[in-house]
Parts: sequence; structure tokens; C-alpha cells
Amino acid sequence: MNLFGFGLGVATLFIIGLGFVWVIRGEYFFGYLWWPYVMGLGVALIVLSLFVQLDWGSALLGAFGGSLAWGSTELKDQAVRAELGWHRFNPNKRWPPFADTIKKWRAPHL
Amino acid sequence: MTLNWIGVVAAAATFFGVWFGHVGVRKIEYRSPTIWLPTIIALALGLTLELGALLSHNLYVSGALGIVGMTVLWDALEFRRQHKRVAKGHALANPNNPRHARLLADGKATTIDWLNREPIGRSMTAEEAMKLLQAEEAR
Repeated sequence: MNLFGFGLGVATLFIIGLGFVWVIRGEYFFGYLWWPYVMGLGVALIVLSLFVQLDWGSALLGAFGGSLAWGSTELKDQAVRAELGWHRFNPNKRWPPFADTIKKWRAPHL
Repeated sequence: MTLNWIGVVAAAATFFGVWFGHVGVRKIEYRSPTIWLPTIIALALGLTLELGALLSHNLYVSGALGIVGMTVLWDALEFRRQHKRVAKGHALANPNNPRHARLLADGKATTIDWLNREPIGRSMTAEEAMKLLQAEEAR
């Protein structure tokens, strides 16, 4: 019996669960315009995982990168939910560098 | 140095697992007249995938099945949660689905997709949000 996949699945479940928390908190404090940075970090972690020789380390890094990439596409919806009053709205967010440029791009939404 | 592809496999399994959990659950819940049937199917599928992960001796196959299996097991719970979102009016109700039609008759559920717009950076009332949606549709 190979416990690698089952264990990785359990660990990934916690990583995805963490995703719910950081998307809500991240949007509240920083705003949805951070999405390209979050997506870039996710992709960077996935690329980095290629160079980690320990299978567990590489797999967890990849799963976290995939979760960040997904979460980056959720930030826009979360911002709308907060505007509608379904979640707390913070008018004083710490917007990212180049926020005005990013605002002109259509935020990803899956 | 040899590249270790298990991270990329885990990333793809996580991304697509969550994607299906998000989009697929929404679409199935929208159409299914019952909650229990998709829940049971997701439970059975998730457990089968986890069994496959335990029995596979291939690192990549075991890893991908383990992750996708867990997300499908999570999806089994998500059907109930999605039903509650529809009941609250936070997700789209389908008037042709008898289960949703009952929720619509209760008054809180809606056929409006409130999330189908860009954020504008301030909180707003439902009436303002409605006007924004109509303006986006007209564009």
C-alpha cells in the first residue's frame, strides 16, 4: 500500500482550506488588485518545485503554488461579495504597486 | 540536476480539483433536483480515487489521485453548502429546478448573478448593485 497520494491529499485539503482564509483576509486588508502578484507567486512556486529533489517537499510546494494560482482568480469575486455586504468591507486597503494599471485589466474569474 | 515533476503534478491536480469543486459543483447543484444524489456520487467517486491512490505504486498517479480524491470528497459537502448559498440569494437559482423553484417561492433566492461584474471599490446597497449589473449588461 502506497500512502504517498493519500497523505498528500490530506495535506492538500489543509492547503486548500487555508486558501479560503487567505482569500477573505487578503482581499479585506490588501484588495483584489494584488491578483497578478499572487498568481505570479503561485507560478513561481510551481517552477521552484521542479528543483526540489525531495518528493514530499516538491509536491507540497506545487500544491501550495496551485492553490495560490487558483486563489488569485477568486479575489475579484471576494471583492464584489464585500461590496455587497456579504463579507466585511474595508475602505482603507493597502493597494499594490501599479494598482492603476492593474485596474485596467480584466481580473480573471473562473 | 534532474527536474522533479511531482510538484507540477500536485499543482495541476490542486488547481483543477478546486476548479471542478467550484465550477462543477455550482453547475451540478444548479441542475440537480436533489442534493443527496450528487453527494452520494461524489462520496463514492472520492473514496474510489483515494483507494486508487493507496493501491498505485506510481508516484505521480498516486499523488494526483490522492489530491483529486480529497477535493471530490470535499465537493460532497459543497453540494449542501451551495444549496444554502442559493437559499440565501448569494448564488444563482434555477427556476426550472423544482428544488430551487421552492426556494424562489420562499422569496430569498434569486435569479440574479450578483458576482457578474467588476468591483468598484466601495460598499453599496442591493439597488445600486442592480443598476451596475444592468449597466454592464447593456455594454
